Amino acid sequence: MDEFLAYSVLGVCLGSIYAIAATGLVVTYATSGIFNFAHGAVGTLTAIFYWQVRVGWHVPGPIAIVLAIFVFAPLVGVLLDIAIMRGLQGTSETTQLVVPIAVLLAINGTATWIWFRNANSLYLPRRFFGDDQSVKIFGQAVFVHQIIAAACAVAIALGLYLLLHRTRLGVTMRATVDDRSLLMMNGGRPDRMSLASWAIGSALAGLAGVLLSPSLGALQVLALTLLVFDTYPAAIAGRLRSVPIAYAAGIAFGLAKSYWDWLSLTPTGPRWAAWTNLRVALPAVLLFVVLLLLPQDRLRGTVITRTRERFHVPTIRQSLAWGGVLVVVMAMLQALMTRSAVITMSNAMALALLALPIVLLSGYAGQVNLAAYSFAGIAIIAAWQFDVGPGGKATRESLSVWAVLLAIVVGGLIALPALRLRGLHLGLATFAFAIVVDQLVLRQIGPLRPNLFGWKFEVNLFSNGQLTVPRPRWFGVDFLVSQRNYLMFMTVAFALVGVALIALRRSAYGRIIVAAKDSPAACATLGLNVTVLKLQVFMLASGLAGFGGLLWGAQQRTVNNNGSFDPFLGLALFMMAVVGGVGYVSGALVAGILLSVLANVMPNVFTWLGSELPSLNWLFVSVLGNFSKFVGPALVGIGLGRNPSGIAQQIMDGFRPLRRAPFAVGCYLAAIVALWAVTWAGGISNWAFTVIVVASVFIVPMRIMRLSRYRSRFADVLDALDGEDLSRTGLGAPLTVADRDRFDAALGLR
Amino acid sequence: MSGLVMRGVSVRFGGHLAVGNVSLEAPRGAITGLIGPNGAGKTTLFNVATGFLTPTSGGVEFDGRDITNMPTYRRARLGLGRTFQRLELFTSLTVRENVRVAGSIRKRWKRARLDVVAESDRLIELLGLSEHAEREVSEIPTGMARRVELARALMTQPTMLLLDEPASGQDEHETAEFGELLLRLAADGPGILLVEHDMSLVMQVCQQIHVLDFGTIIASGTPAEVRANPAVVAAYLGEGA
Repeated sequence: MDEFLAYSVLGVCLGSIYAIAATGLVVTYATSGIFNFAHGAVGTLTAIFYWQVRVGWHVPGPIAIVLAIFVFAPLVGVLLDIAIMRGLQGTSETTQLVVPIAVLLAINGTATWIWFRNANSLYLPRRFFGDDQSVKIFGQAVFVHQIIAAACAVAIALGLYLLLHRTRLGVTMRATVDDRSLLMMNGGRPDRMSLASWAIGSALAGLAGVLLSPSLGALQVLALTLLVFDTYPAAIAGRLRSVPIAYAAGIAFGLAKSYWDWLSLTPTGPRWAAWTNLRVALPAVLLFVVLLLLPQDRLRGTVITRTRERFHVPTIRQSLAWGGVLVVVMAMLQALMTRSAVITMSNAMALALLALPIVLLSGYAGQVNLAAYSFAGIAIIAAWQFDVGPGGKATRESLSVWAVLLAIVVGGLIALPALRLRGLHLGLATFAFAIVVDQLVLRQIGPLRPNLFGWKFEVNLFSNGQLTVPRPRWFGVDFLVSQRNYLMFMTVAFALVGVALIALRRSAYGRIIVAAKDSPAACATLGLNVTVLKLQVFMLASGLAGFGGLLWGAQQRTVNNNGSFDPFLGLALFMMAVVGGVGYVSGALVAGILLSVLANVMPNVFTWLGSELPSLNWLFVSVLGNFSKFVGPALVGIGLGRNPSGIAQQIMDGFRPLRRAPFAVGCYLAAIVALWAVTWAGGISNWAFTVIVVASVFIVPMRIMRLSRYRSRFADVLDALDGEDLSRTGLGAPLTVADRDRFDAALGLR
Repeated sequence: MSGLVMRGVSVRFGGHLAVGNVSLEAPRGAITGLIGPNGAGKTTLFNVATGFLTPTSGGVEFDGRDITNMPTYRRARLGLGRTFQRLELFTSLTVRENVRVAGSIRKRWKRARLDVVAESDRLIELLGLSEHAEREVSEIPTGMARRVELARALMTQPTMLLLDEPASGQDEHETAEFGELLLRLAADGPGILLVEHDMSLVMQVCQQIHVLDFGTIIASGTPAEVRANPAVVAAYLGEGA
């Protein structure tokens, strides 16, 4: 009994910190309507800042606390709101999820850049009143630090409840989400409200981060961020709206974790060795339980605000042509490339394959899967178990049918509890799934001997923490020795899957998928079971992720369980897919290239520059190189708020006017091919070829456009008006934004 | 009775009684009007009938079958179609695709032969949408967008249609034309339950009218009876009018 009480005390203390962070999430969501995925990162940053002030600069405790919790963290929140989150009004749910993810990656990258450039940096946070101040409660030593945490949690929950429900400010804050424009008409100032809520939410995240950090031993960016992520289920339990429920759930989850410790730890070691990591994954498991228990979202009409994302669908003939162009261009390029460039390009292609299912799932169907790498991991383990085995010799092709089927089944199981709810919940469920897979599946490196209803077998899931993924050998072509062959193999696979996706989108089924994204309510009144449709699409995308994952794994050759499938990688991939243009197959390609180039090429370029100019080494390597490595991708994501349709569309729009000058474009392309031939024959160097092509891609089209503009200015205005009901030019119907844009484009004003 | 029957339906949002003990019938082959001032509970009743809301008490029957707790998509498969007051169009698709996709959805749950292309072309022609057919729905005027919703609903060949302010956004000439269209549609068999603010349209097409005010039915009858009812006049023009 004493033990039970002792673990209860510890649980309440831990739960109190959960409650603080969870109520912070509720406050920002309830007033800004944005789920702050970066909550954990803000907490981490504040904890590091607190360490810097308190331990690094020896500032007295109370002053350090004030600086961290009441100045630094709120300031971060205010900055986030002004610079980034406000720009998300009127964007789709996907964008509203991606931008906070980018912020998370940016904050983590910045923190790593500033504090953890050296791998052996060690920061030891201290508890309030020191690590030796504790009192005994039910025979359990409890740090004063923990008691402070519990007291803070109670005070904060009470204070927030009173603020939101009993004060004018609180009621206005809640009104901001319900109807921003109505509030403005009634004299409210939603901007000021959301500013206040971001400041409060960030302060609470910061407090939770500072309180949680000593339990880690030494500060670590990702580990601490994940610790604060543990508090998300509690916020979800309160439907992101209820402070009291979030508080209660926080305490309950803290107790659950504490009781798990009590049950699983024995003096001689863990009781169930295979389940040791459940401790870390427990909050993610609890998130699933919460999602299962939440009542179904009411099907309701959406207010049709025209979201800013617009995607045009190419015809099948166009997609076939572009797929062919991709394969031909890649074949020509790889003939020129050095081995390291081939590897970078292969990585880009592998990542593009992994990003393709995101186009189907998020671009077409408006759903979210943040666990692409987990599906890759499951498929790779399955393929290895079924096809290779512990002996290490390939008995079948690694493109295992079994692996893809397993990914489909697992996808269905993941989606089932979350599909009833909104997209945000599905996104969180998949991220939780990524954590569960990372902790409980990928870390099974020893033999397991399960006994399923008398059927006993032995399996070693992730054999010794490292798997060698075989590459296919088809029609006598070896894809293992020749990296170039494998690059072409992946390129062809990408082109084929891409064309198949576009064919799917253009089919009747594809139109139903899009319709269900635009208005689930209308689809239901037409007799469509929207949940079943969403489940089908999610399973299809899971299978595709498994397939892409196998090819990606085969590109890596060996995957390990410590880093290859990091849950944060899935966040970065999803973010890049959206940045690239989530409605387009080409967007996945852009995502793959960006990720691969930002991770490999840019730091290498800066390292090379640094070695060439040693006096500026600090600038190139320490500043620019690390910046592009740690923060670059995230900045790209944050920029998304301004152009939610993505990079692929911008590129296409930029080159669209060239259609008017087919002859000039043909001449230009012929010149490029000729240049390629000269380079291939050794006439000029690869560098010269690259510089000429890159420069000309930017300059020549502009020249062509300028030459053809005079003639086309009139032609286009007439085209634009051709077949129009003339009354539409001002009499019969209001001029829409699209009309204006078309006229602007035709007149060369844009 | 074949058609839609609501018995003693009440809907409560928190402390607010949006609809209180409403009973009404909308038979097949006839146009039934549902009118009342803004906020009277008309759309709430539509949401109860189509399964977007579960009534606090009372029940809904369709063709003699209790559908009170049936999900929306299954009601649609029984033949209950609707349009929305706040438009629910598929904004990524063109007008023609909006109508066609409804046919594709119908094909998923009904084996009966349906030439989606021919039927959608016919409906687009019938509703006067031909000149807008290839445009994106977000570009066309509201009145036309409402017709797209109607065409889309008709694509599933419903036996009962719930139309929520289908004529708003249309001019006088278009509305008169639209009234004739409704009469033709009803003559073919399906019943129509019509919520509309344009009184001339309601009086022109409805056989039976129910008047809703503050969530309760204050009058029911033929257009002539309703027009002469003092309670209706008071609700619309204020007491003492």
